[in-house]
Amino acid sequence: MFPNLDFVGGWRIWFAISGALLLLSAGAIGIGRLNLGIDFQGGAQFTVVNAESQPSDEEIAGALPAGIDREAVLVQTLGDDGYEVRTPVLSEGERREAQDALSEVFGVQADEVGVTNVSAAFGGQVRNQALQAVAAALIVIVVFISFRFEFGFALAAMVALVHDILMTVGFYAIVQREVSLVTVVAVLTVLGYSIYDTIIIFDRIRENAPTVGYNRRRFDEMVNVSIRQVVRRSIYTSVFSLIPITALLIFGEATLADFAFALLVGIAAGTYSSIFIASPVLALYKAWRAGRLRSPRTA
Amino acid sequence: MGRPGAEESGQESGSAVCFCVRAWPEYSRRVGATQTGRGLPRAGPGPASDRRSSDELELCPEFMGTRRNNLIVMGLVVILLGVAAYLIFIRQPVTESTQLGLDLQGGVSAQLKGSQTGGGKVTREEMELASNLIRQRIDRLGVAEPDVRVQGDDQITVQIPGVENPEEVIDIIGSTAQLGFYRVLDSEIQQGIPQDEVPEARTEIEEDLKDDDAFQDGEAKVLFEKSPMPGGGGGGTYVAGYVLNETPDMTGDAIQQDGATVEPSPTTGKRQVSIQLTGEGGRQFGDLTQEIVSEAAPTGQPGLLAISLDEDVISAPQVTEPIIGGQVSISNDGLPEGLPEDEATQLETVLNTGALPVSMEVIAQNTVGPTLGTASLRSGLTAGLVGFALVLVLLLVIYRALGLVADLALLIYAFLLWGIVVAVPITMTLPGIAGIVLSVGVAADANIVIFERIKEEIRRGKTSRTAIAAGYEKGFRAILDGNVTTLITAFILFALSSSTVRGFAVLLVIGVVVSMFTAIVVTRALLGLLSDRGVHLPPGMMGVSKKSIGQQQPERVR
Repeated sequence: MFPNLDFVGGWRIWFAISGALLLLSAGAIGIGRLNLGIDFQGGAQFTVVNAESQPSDEEIAGALPAGIDREAVLVQTLGDDGYEVRTPVLSEGERREAQDALSEVFGVQADEVGVTNVSAAFGGQVRNQALQAVAAALIVIVVFISFRFEFGFALAAMVALVHDILMTVGFYAIVQREVSLVTVVAVLTVLGYSIYDTIIIFDRIRENAPTVGYNRRRFDEMVNVSIRQVVRRSIYTSVFSLIPITALLIFGEATLADFAFALLVGIAAGTYSSIFIASPVLALYKAWRAGRLRSPRTA
Repeated sequence: MGRPGAEESGQESGSAVCFCVRAWPEYSRRVGATQTGRGLPRAGPGPASDRRSSDELELCPEFMGTRRNNLIVMGLVVILLGVAAYLIFIRQPVTESTQLGLDLQGGVSAQLKGSQTGGGKVTREEMELASNLIRQRIDRLGVAEPDVRVQGDDQITVQIPGVENPEEVIDIIGSTAQLGFYRVLDSEIQQGIPQDEVPEARTEIEEDLKDDDAFQDGEAKVLFEKSPMPGGGGGGTYVAGYVLNETPDMTGDAIQQDGATVEPSPTTGKRQVSIQLTGEGGRQFGDLTQEIVSEAAPTGQPGLLAISLDEDVISAPQVTEPIIGGQVSISNDGLPEGLPEDEATQLETVLNTGALPVSMEVIAQNTVGPTLGTASLRSGLTAGLVGFALVLVLLLVIYRALGLVADLALLIYAFLLWGIVVAVPITMTLPGIAGIVLSVGVAADANIVIFERIKEEIRRGKTSRTAIAAGYEKGFRAILDGNVTTLITAFILFALSSSTVRGFAVLLVIGVVVSMFTAIVVTRALLGLLSDRGVHLPPGMMGVSKKSIGQQQPERVR
């Protein structure tokens, strides 16, 4: 596949494409388009399926008890007859009233209204745990790759990983899907998947790499050949992983669909970055190292 | 045995899994050279081929592991499938075999945070004790199998499937249930307050009472009692404020073990909770009521005794004479039936299990209705099955005969995974389904890595048998490294996350491990047995077009 594509030599093009998308992602996150769910901010969320009536958003918000800030109420529809109503943090009493009011508006039994209520403190804890988990995963993976391969590979894999995570979160911000605990799981999964994909390519590079001597032209060509040898597998694997994920996106209810969306973006980004980001970065790093080893003598 | 190569294969016959690859010598030598010292752990071909000369390798013509090993592997698979089938279908009806989580069958879960009343740190022991008490309280409600566990330093997660009255349950598990008996220093009552004006009434009463002589800052506090007016909801609310000493004159310690019962009052027949005090408690109570009577004597009004649960007064009866004998009852004579039934049961439950050692705050709570649960389960299953079926079809289209073997392995994988889920047992949740769906992708990928390698070797002109052997040997290392990183992320997820995420991590780990087994060991044994039977797989049946064979020469790398 792609017998004439220069994966390493064309790095300026690949980096520019990624750079543009990353800029877009970072911009979307920067202007605060990230739709943080109650898992992160605290708040209450009411879920109804099989609603008997189809009230408008205003009717729904209007039915809520007086103490709740109407501006902060968010109504989302789930399929044909499902609704999700999000409010700021509620007291125990307010929550019960809201639950009763909503069950009336939607024409269902009170115990058919699912409720999630998260305090702001718990939201903060979730956010911290999520960041810790991502950081810990990155560190452990660098150590593991440095150990199994060498540091240059770990560095390149890390660049690809950060690329994929930013891309996933950025697309979340662009389409304004709700970021929940499940999104964090998805991001960590993308992290695992992306590194897996990168490793399959690196494994081939490692196998093809000469044990002694470095020559930039030869090394870059070797990387290109290695990618050509495994690129079909990369694409097939993406397709095979994306099939069940697309099924989740189509058939899954809100939580599963959100999860699937993150994976869809992340896996697509991961496949791209393993080929077009990780490998050129590795080649560039090798060239830079070689240059630095030689230059101190002459300079 | 008795065939050439028996010695070599004998070395590894201890383990059913044989990665010994006796591919063509020129190839193995190269692997040995680049791989020494960092190849596969044990059983790897690298070190082995270093030790043997190419001549010895020629003695080992079994490319796909010995027939005996393959039979052992398949025998093992059949036994495992049998065990799984027993666990899933025979031990109990299949609909009951898989434990469903709250999000799939409905129920309530709550995250509680413990803290000292004064604001200090709680100890692990206190949290363990509290979680035991909470479990006892739920058990007394008679609801199905609660899951109560301490999480981190100061939190408890409670999960109760299929509850009908989640609100009440949360109230019961979360209340500290510290009982207090006080002499009432002063009181003020407002009657018939409409529901939404209760907060204003409270503030008003509190301000009045704090101006009172009886209220001395730092030594006294104001607690409230709130109950519906007699005659139903239309009559508004009865709100009373009481000035009490800062610390209770008596606490719940004075109650005898299992001393609280709901019963009709002997005099009025209305529902009340009777409390039997301990011997010491009875004496204290005698003293306290004596004090109330004598303090009240000069005023000419009967004195009041306030009984509080946590920071709410639940009853404030008049005391006209000292009460001895250690029998106390809490009642509400204002209502036609006495104490409302659910309130009485709640009181009985928390009094009998005793007070929690720390105060608990509900920081997150999740209630899932049964309909929502069923809908989630259905959508998750549909997604999983459709995705799985498409993967099977696509494998077949791309890899033909090899795909058939992979499909078989994937089906075995799915069945074994289900068996493990039932055997452990693992509670299935939505994130768990997501983990499984993902691991299907990983399982398919292991096959793809190997099959692509096989096709590559065939295009280079290798025979199917050699190509298959090489595919497994070369593919294995990449798959191992890849899966180890997936496992690393899964472990980190497990260690650093809350219970929702853990379900995902656990299933991902099990999924990855099982998929490694089925995608590498089982497919290999299947292919090995096929070629042993003399089944020859022409390249076309493996998805390699005749045209491409030999055209794509091995690229020159250096």
